[in-house]
Amino acid sequence: MYAYNQYDQALVDQRVDQYRDQTRRYLAGEIPEDEFRILRLMNGLYIQRLAPMLRVAIPYGLMKSQQMRSLAEISRVYDKGYGHFTTRQNMQFNWPTLESVPDILGDLAKVQMHAIQTSGACIRNTTTDPFAGVSADEIEDTRPWCELIRQWSSLHPEFAYLPRKFKIAVSGSASDRAASQVHDIGLHLYRNDAGEVGFEVLVGGGLGRTPVIGKTVKKFLEPQELLSYLEAVLRVYNLNGRRDNKYKARIKILVNALGVDTFGNMVEAEWEQLKGGDLRLPWSEIDRVKGFFTGPDYLAVEHAQNDLADAFVQHPQFATWYRQNTRDHKQGGYRIVVVALKNQLQAPGDVSHQQMDGMAALADEFSFGELRSTHDQNLVLADVAQRDLLALWFKLQDIDLARANVGTLTDMINCPGLDFCSLANAETLVLSRQINETFDDMDYQYDIGDIQLKISGCINACGHHHVGHIGVLGVEKGGKQVYQFTLGGSASKDASLGKTLGRSIEQDQVVVVIGQILDVYVELRETDETFLQLVRRVGFAPFKERVYGTHQRSAA
Amino acid sequence: MALIKDQQLSLEHAATPELRFSDWLSDGPNSADAVLANGDDDLPSLLTHASKLSMIALEFDTFADGRGFSMARMLRRAGYQGEIRAVGDVAMDRIDFMQRVGFNAFELRDDQDVTQVLSKFGEVTVHFQPSADGKGPSYMA
Repeated sequence: MYAYNQYDQALVDQRVDQYRDQTRRYLAGEIPEDEFRILRLMNGLYIQRLAPMLRVAIPYGLMKSQQMRSLAEISRVYDKGYGHFTTRQNMQFNWPTLESVPDILGDLAKVQMHAIQTSGACIRNTTTDPFAGVSADEIEDTRPWCELIRQWSSLHPEFAYLPRKFKIAVSGSASDRAASQVHDIGLHLYRNDAGEVGFEVLVGGGLGRTPVIGKTVKKFLEPQELLSYLEAVLRVYNLNGRRDNKYKARIKILVNALGVDTFGNMVEAEWEQLKGGDLRLPWSEIDRVKGFFTGPDYLAVEHAQNDLADAFVQHPQFATWYRQNTRDHKQGGYRIVVVALKNQLQAPGDVSHQQMDGMAALADEFSFGELRSTHDQNLVLADVAQRDLLALWFKLQDIDLARANVGTLTDMINCPGLDFCSLANAETLVLSRQINETFDDMDYQYDIGDIQLKISGCINACGHHHVGHIGVLGVEKGGKQVYQFTLGGSASKDASLGKTLGRSIEQDQVVVVIGQILDVYVELRETDETFLQLVRRVGFAPFKERVYGTHQRSAA
Repeated sequence: MALIKDQQLSLEHAATPELRFSDWLSDGPNSADAVLANGDDDLPSLLTHASKLSMIALEFDTFADGRGFSMARMLRRAGYQGEIRAVGDVAMDRIDFMQRVGFNAFELRDDQDVTQVLSKFGEVTVHFQPSADGKGPSYMA
C-alpha cells in the first residue's frame, strides 16, 4: 500500500498543529461557534446526540495492521473501547471529547492516518472496491488512481467551501463493488474497443432525500487527464451549485437542472483550459504510485494451496464459512476472506478493541499485514493462502468474527440511527437486534441466499436503503417511529433505486414484514432465482398482498 | 478593518470599492478602475473586462460561500495581475487557501488579530495540487 514520504507526513503533522490551534482558539472564545463547526467538520469531528463523534479516514478502505492497532489503542485511551466502520470505508469513534481530538489526530498522524475532509462541504474520502488488486474479474487495480485522487483532493485550496459534500468512488471491474453509480462522481475503469484503459465518468449519483443514479458525462477519459477533468467538474460545481437550500445543493441537483448535456458541455469548456496543463499526470507519476500496489510476495501456488476436502469433512462449519465468506482470488492458491462485522452480539459495523487487535494480528499472520474495510461495514483480508484458511477460521472464532453470513439477510447495512445520531428520526439498532434474534437460523438464511438488507434511520440514507434489495427507512410520524419499506434497489452494475412497498410499518412489526417478504420469495422463486431477480420479475403485487392484505392494484 | 496586502499589514492602500461590477458594466468601463464583485456576478464578463481594472474586490457574504475561491483562480489564470482583495467574512483560517488561489489582499473581519493572521500564511507548506500560487504538487518539485 501507499507509504508516506516526507511530504505526506509533513502535511498531516502540520494539519494536526493547525487544528490544535483552532481548538485552542475556539475554547478561548476566539472562533465563533458556526465557524468552528466548519473547521472541525473538515477534521472529521461531529457533535452528536450523546457525545462528539470523530470520523477517521481510511483512504479507499486500505489499512495496515499497525494502523488497526492504533485505532484499537485510541479507542481504549480516548473512547469506550470500540469503533464503527461506515458505508464510506471510514471508521468512527463515538465518544471522544472535543478537547482530546487534537491529541487523537496527533496519534493518528504517527501511523500515517488522519481525519482530513471526512466531513464538511469538501471532497470526502474516495472509496473503491474492497477487492481491488486481487479480484479475478478486475480490469485494472483502482487503488493507485484512488491514491492520486486522494492527494489532489487533500487540502485543495479552491474546493474547501463547496455548496455541499462531494463523494467520489472508483470501480475497476465488471461488477461494481463500490456503489459508484450513487456517488457525486463515479469512475469506471474499463478497456475501450481500441484496447486502451480509461475512465467512464458518471456524475450526479446520490442517495438521501432525492436518490439518483449517476449519468455518464464522459464516455472515455484518458487516464492522464483524470485530475484535470475532476478539477473541471468541481469548478463548475463550486461556481454553479445551489447555495440557497442545503437540501438542493448536491451536484445531482445541478446536473438534473441543467440536463446532462448542458452540464457536460460546461465541464468540457472548462476542461479545455486545463487539459494538457499542469494537472496532466505524467506516466512517471502514475507509475510511481502504481509501484506501491504491485502486490505482496505471493507463495508459489503449490505452496499456497491445500486440499481442503478433509478439512471440510472434519469441520463442516468451516466448509460453510469457506463457501459463504471467501471469494475467488486472481492469484492461484489464494482466497479473499470477508470478515463480517455482523455477529449477533454487536451493532452492525462495530468492532471492539480486542477484535481490532485480533484482526491486526491475523492480518500480520495471514494476509501480509494489510486489511480493508468495505462499504457494507465489513472487513477484508485480501490475500490469504488456502493452506492458512482453517487456522484463520479458528482464530476468527476466538474473536467472535467467524459468523458465516456474508451476503445473507443478517449481513445488513445499518446506520447507528437515533441511538447515536443527531440527524436520525428513528432507531435502527433495535431492528438489527430483532432481525438477528428472529432470523437466527443460518440454514434458513442460506436458503434465502444472496440478499442485501439496508436500513437507514433518516432520510439522509447513510444506511443506503435506496439501494437495498430490501430497504428500510425509519421516519417519525406523529411522535412515533415507523418504518417505510422499499424493494428492488441495487448498488451493483445493474444499479436501481428501490420503490416504496406501501404505508409505514410499526417498529415491532418490522421483523414480521421482513418474514412475510421472504415467505413470498420462497413461494414464488424459480430455480436459482435470487431475491432481487424475483422482485424484478414479479413486481410488487405479491408482496403488497402479503404484507398489506390488499388485492387492489393501486398503491397503498 | 485591517487590510493585509502582500502578507503584511498595509497602512496605506486604496479603499475597498463600493461600486458593484454589474453597475460598472452599465456605467461604462472607464468610470472607475476598481469594483466589488461576488459569486452572483457574471464571471465570463468579469474575466473579459478584468484587464481594465486595477483592483477587484471579491466578497464573501458568509464564509460558507466558496465561489470567490474559483473566481480568483480563474482571474489569475486569465492573466489578471491587479489586486484581488478578499472582503467580507475573511478570517485567518481561510487565509492560506485564499492566497493559494490568487488573492493578494485581505480585508479582515473585525475580530481577527493581525499578528495571528500573518502567522497563518504558509501554515501548511505541502501542496498536493497546483494552484494560482504556482506551487505544488510538492513531491514533483
